[in-house]
This record gives sequence, structure tokens and C-alpha cells, in this order.
Amino acid sequence: MYGSKLDSREIILFGFGKLGHKIYEMLTTNFNKITVADNREDIVAEAKKYGIESAFYIDLVDDCKLTELGLNNKILFCAMDEMPLNIFLVLSLKTISTNCTIISVSTSSESTRKLKFIGADKVIDLYESSANRIVDIITRPAVTKVLDEIIYIDNEIRIEEIEIPPNSFLEDRCVSEIDFRKFGLILIGITDKEIGDDFIFVSRGINHKFDEGDILVLLGESQALEDFYNILWDKNSE
Amino acid sequence: MKNIIVKYLVAFSYFLESAYWYQKVKRFFNNILNNDSYPYKKIFDIFMVLIILSSVSILVIDVREHVADWLDYYDLYIVTTIFIVEYLLRLWVHDDIHKIIINEYEESQFFEKPFKITKVLKKIASNKWAYMTSVPAVIDLIAILPSYREIRVLRVFVLFRAFKMLRYSKSLLQFFEMLKSKKIELYTLIILISFFTLIASVMIYVFEGNGTNPNINSLFDAVYWALITITTVGYGDITPVTIEGRAVSMLIILTGIGAISFLTSIIVSAFNEKLPEIKETRVMNQIIKKKDLNLVCGYGKIGQLVSKKLQEAGESFLVIETDPVKVEKAELDGFQVLKADATKSDTFLKLKLCQNVKSVICATHDDIMNVFITINARSLCKDVEIIARCSDKSVAKKLKLAGANHLIMPEEIAGLLGAVYIGQPVAFEALQAILTQKRTARIDEVEIKLGSFLDGATVGDFDFTANRLILLAVLKRLKSDDINSYYIVFNPPEETELKVGDILVIMGYSVSISDFKGRLEKSVRFKT
Repeated sequence: MYGSKLDSREIILFGFGKLGHKIYEMLTTNFNKITVADNREDIVAEAKKYGIESAFYIDLVDDCKLTELGLNNKILFCAMDEMPLNIFLVLSLKTISTNCTIISVSTSSESTRKLKFIGADKVIDLYESSANRIVDIITRPAVTKVLDEIIYIDNEIRIEEIEIPPNSFLEDRCVSEIDFRKFGLILIGITDKEIGDDFIFVSRGINHKFDEGDILVLLGESQALEDFYNILWDKNSE
Repeated sequence: MKNIIVKYLVAFSYFLESAYWYQKVKRFFNNILNNDSYPYKKIFDIFMVLIILSSVSILVIDVREHVADWLDYYDLYIVTTIFIVEYLLRLWVHDDIHKIIINEYEESQFFEKPFKITKVLKKIASNKWAYMTSVPAVIDLIAILPSYREIRVLRVFVLFRAFKMLRYSKSLLQFFEMLKSKKIELYTLIILISFFTLIASVMIYVFEGNGTNPNINSLFDAVYWALITITTVGYGDITPVTIEGRAVSMLIILTGIGAISFLTSIIVSAFNEKLPEIKETRVMNQIIKKKDLNLVCGYGKIGQLVSKKLQEAGESFLVIETDPVKVEKAELDGFQVLKADATKSDTFLKLKLCQNVKSVICATHDDIMNVFITINARSLCKDVEIIARCSDKSVAKKLKLAGANHLIMPEEIAGLLGAVYIGQPVAFEALQAILTQKRTARIDEVEIKLGSFLDGATVGDFDFTANRLILLAVLKRLKSDDINSYYIVFNPPEETELKVGDILVIMGYSVSISDFKGRLEKSVRFKT
């Protein structure tokens, strides 16, 4: 989330095999506090050789060892090469710790179902997401191109979440009253704390009233996003 | 004198070779008679089958009651004429006489030998004769003979008219083609049956032909009885009366059962062997007509998911797979499959890669295989869109070099999605929902067509917000003639001009999007 210091979030990546290695590479571009853990000594050694200092050997059956890693408030990314291990790991993590975010990779709809059932916060289906992308390239090439610009390609256009601070200029005003175009931004949707955590797309046409704590999802250039963020928080300090 | 004839003959041949109308007419007739993929051939085939049916019906009705005279004339003259014309046309399009003459003439010029007209005529005759003696041509020729009613035996020729139907029905022909592959087995069987029939008929004639059995008066009767018995038909009009005769019957019945089951097994095995081929032809026939085809090469995990999603999106696609187990799985899943090797150029050429195919998806689990498929497709067609899956960065470079337009790296996508989720969970969920279309809000694209109300307007002219849409971006062509290169204008300002060919990327609920699309389309219809 914008302003919450992205880089400060700590990630523990479980598994540094074929899959884990690739994911590590992707994660390092955005985050720098990444701990790697694996249940095979040779893989841990390989990770150390690769230049990762915080690489640990873990025994999946030994819950104490897992706790020693310090799981609280961290993001736990499960990317073991073997799906049964992944499922078992998620289950162990879920029983040990309650206030962490568990993300797991899955390679089949079967595993996805199981992982969701045992309580992983986010399951990323490797093949499903690839297939979606292939089909999108074919059926909606322009949409894919635009989304690529937003998500995949590192450029100025980004999608960001901004939380409304207390007493901001948005307080008690409606969606239709604010012209986000003026800021060079597009408001995609809002998560309203009053209603619940459900995400509301602006295009649904409900004239929503902004409140403190609502999360705005905005699309625009980095500079515009930053300016808007500053305006939002400046008003607060006045 | 001879020289003059040769001179005019050669000149006329060259004239034909260069005459556009002649080539065109000949090509038309060749297409309508022989080219299965020619759309009007089907109409011609149906027409011919109807003619044949009418001719056969007239004969059948004529057996017991007199048909009207005009029907007789129709059968005798019109049908026969049509058949003659067809026969001559087939003979004509079989090969090009003028080409033979030109070839021969040029050869003689080259070697400075005299042009021998007899040699040319011989060659022409032998070519045409080769056609005339082929089985279909012979059937055609006999079918021309009108059913001369006064002589009963000649009515058999009508049968040949029925046979002629084979020409116009592919599946009937396929059956005979199938049996052809079992020639040796069928031949053995026929010899075996004839041998037993002969022995049995001679024996029954010896035992009962001397007056003991009133029904067996000649050797023909005996052969007739033996054949009816050995094929297990057994009419019962002739039955053996002596003990010896009955003993012969019992033996011949046992042999008969063996022979019939042998025949059945031959046909079944021939059918089984040809089944994949028949399936392939059927798939090819259906697929070849489709434009904008997507080829899914490899039916592994990704291939399966892609196929399922393409079907949901209403795209036409064909699965290409070499592994028979996976081919069967794809068939069971209800998709069109071709058991072929996508790394071979034949496969793509057969599918008319350049004309019919929109995209090639290399989705095998083997990176090297995907590189091969990419090279194969790109070498045959430079415009087709290639989407390749790979799991290694070094392979990714090679794939780009080989000509893949898009690379799909499952592990990388997973990592990226993970990174986005960690950073911006709300935005991620929103994007996921939009992308997978699980909720009703989605992103879609609309191209501005010539004459629609947005053509020539500016972004501000249409109130997207009031229509509950968000205009995310406009894609504009870099060059007006190139449909593949675009530049993106995010969050376009109100004064942005819209032109034909621009693509709007809009977000909204399905209802709003389809309403917007519908209005755009309607405006095109009214203006043009």
C-alpha cells in the first residue's frame, strides 16, 4: 500500500528449488528483506552460494524449528517444488502462527482447492494464471497490452492503493463530486470499511461517500499518484 | 502439308497456354469435378446423385406399371446426355494436351531434332487411355448406356448408375479404400470359400443329383445350394435328403461359420486401422473452413486449461498433440484434435498456416520442443502470432530470436503475481476479478469502426462516466497501415481525437459494456 513502506515488509520464501528460485528473482526486484528456507541441505547450500545470506534449513515436521524463523507479521511465500510438501507446509504454518499472510503456489486446481481449504490467504495457480494470460493475449490483445503496461512493464503507469487519512479533504464528499481526472488519475474502485472489506468498482454507479479508512484504488502516473497522496495527507496536517 | 499442321498445332497450343479464359474455364470444371475443398462441388455432387436417383426410380416404377412417355424420354435422352457431358469433361480436365505438345515441341527445338507428331499423339492417347481404363471412368462409361428396356439383362446397367453415386459420396468411397488395404486377406478368404463351395457342391451332386433329390437337377443347383449353406443364409428351398448329403451339410455349415467370422474380423480390423485416418480427415474438413484458428500445440496442463478457456471465450481452436494418450484425453474433453507433430512443416502446411491461422500456442512442457515449434511456424509464415511457454531465461532469449511474439513463463508470472499481491492486495484482488471475469466488472476493448459515432469525435464528446464506464486508455496506431503496432495513451484527456482503428480500453460492468458496444455498432449501420 502506498506510504506504508513497501520495502519494510519481510518475506520468508519456503522452497528454493526450480520454482522457488524463479520466484525469488521476481521478488527481489521489489523487496529486499527476503529469507529463504528449504527442507533440503543441498538447496540451502545452493541458495547461500547464490548470495543469499539468510538461507536456512528447516525440517517441515518440526514445528519448533519453524517458529524459530520468527513468523509473526511476516509474509510467508510457499513455493516448494512438490505440491504435497507445500500443502503440508501451509497447514503447519497455519497452526503455528495466526497473524501472518500465507501465499502459496499451486500447480493444479486440485491443490488450489486444498490450499484454500486449509486457509492459505492467497493461492497462485501457476498454470491457471499462465493459461489466462495466453487466452487474454488471443481474445483481448489491447486489454492485455494495457495491463502489461500497468503491471508487468516497469514504467510510470501504476496501479496503487491509497488509504484515506482522518480529516482529509475527501471526508464526507461523494465520488461524483471529485474529479480525479483533474489529478491525472483514474479511480477504479474503493474498499469501504463501513460496508465491509468488499471491493466496489466505481463503474457500478453507486455514489459512494468517502470516509476515513477507505482504500482507494487509483491508476495513473507515479508523479500524479505521489502528488495526490501528498495533497491528501497535507490537508490532514493543516 | 504436314509441316503446316504441326505449325498450327504448336501455335494453337501456345495460344491455349496463354489464354486466360481457357485456363479459367478449365480450372472451374476441374474444381467442380475433382476438388473436394471447392464449395460448389458439393452442390454438383448432390445434383448428380439426384439425377441418378431419378433414373433408378424410373426403372423401378417401370417394372410393374408404365411410366409417362416424357419420363422415358427424360431418362433416355436428358440423363444420358448429362452423363456423356460429364464423362467428356472429366476426360478433358484429366490432363492438358496442349502442354504435352508444347513440351515435346520445346524439347525437339532444344535438341534440334525433328518434331514427331506421331510420338505426341501416342503420348496423348496413352495418357487419356490411362484415365479411361481406371475403375471410376469405366463405371462412368457403362452408366452412360441407357437402360434399354426391351432386353432384361441390360437393365443391369442401371446398377452402374447407382455405382456412379460412389463418386459423389466420400464416406462410401472410404469404405472401399479401407477394404483395399486388406486385399490379401480377402483374397485368401474368397479362395477358401470357393474351394469349400466347389467340394460341397460336387459331393451333393454326386450323392443326390441322380434323381434322389427332386430339387437338385443340375450342377448349378448344387453350387447354389452349397453357397447358400456355406454363407449360413440357408433358404431351405433345397435340402439334402440322404444321410450322406446331410453329413456334407453339417461339415459345410461348420466351415461356413468360420469363414463368416473371418470376414467380419477382416472388416473390423480394416476399419480399426483406418479409423485414425478417417478421424483426421473429418477434423481437417471441419477445421479447414475456419478462419482465425488458434493452434494449441501440446495438451499438457497448460494446453488443457487454454483449450477450456478458449472454448468458453468462443474462439475456434485445434489441439495438436503427438502422444496418443493425450490425444484421447482431448477427444474425451470434446475438443478437435489432430494427432500430428507440430515441429514438422507438413502439419502446418496442411492447416494452411498463413491463410487460416491466427495464433500458434506452443504449450508443451518441453522448452526445446516449444523452440522447434516456434521456428517451424515462423519459418512458414511471418505474420502469425506465436505465443510460447518456457521455463528458462536462456530459452526465452532463443524463443524471441526464433520469432515468438509473446513468452509465457509460469514461474515468473507466479512470482510477479505474488509480488503484486504482497505490495497491493486490494488492487491485486480488483485486477484478478477484472481479469478472470468472475465478478461482473471487466475490462474490454472496442475498436472504432468507420462511420461510428466516435469516429472523428473527441474523448470529451461521449460521457463515459454517465454511461458507467471508465475509459482506461486509447490505443492508437503508429502507422495507419500497420495493424500490429500501437502506442498507448493512458487516461486520455478530453480533447484527444478518436479515429478509425483506434482501440478503446474500457472498464465497467458487462451490461454497460455490451450496451456501449451495441450503440457503436448501430451507429455504423445507420451511417453507411
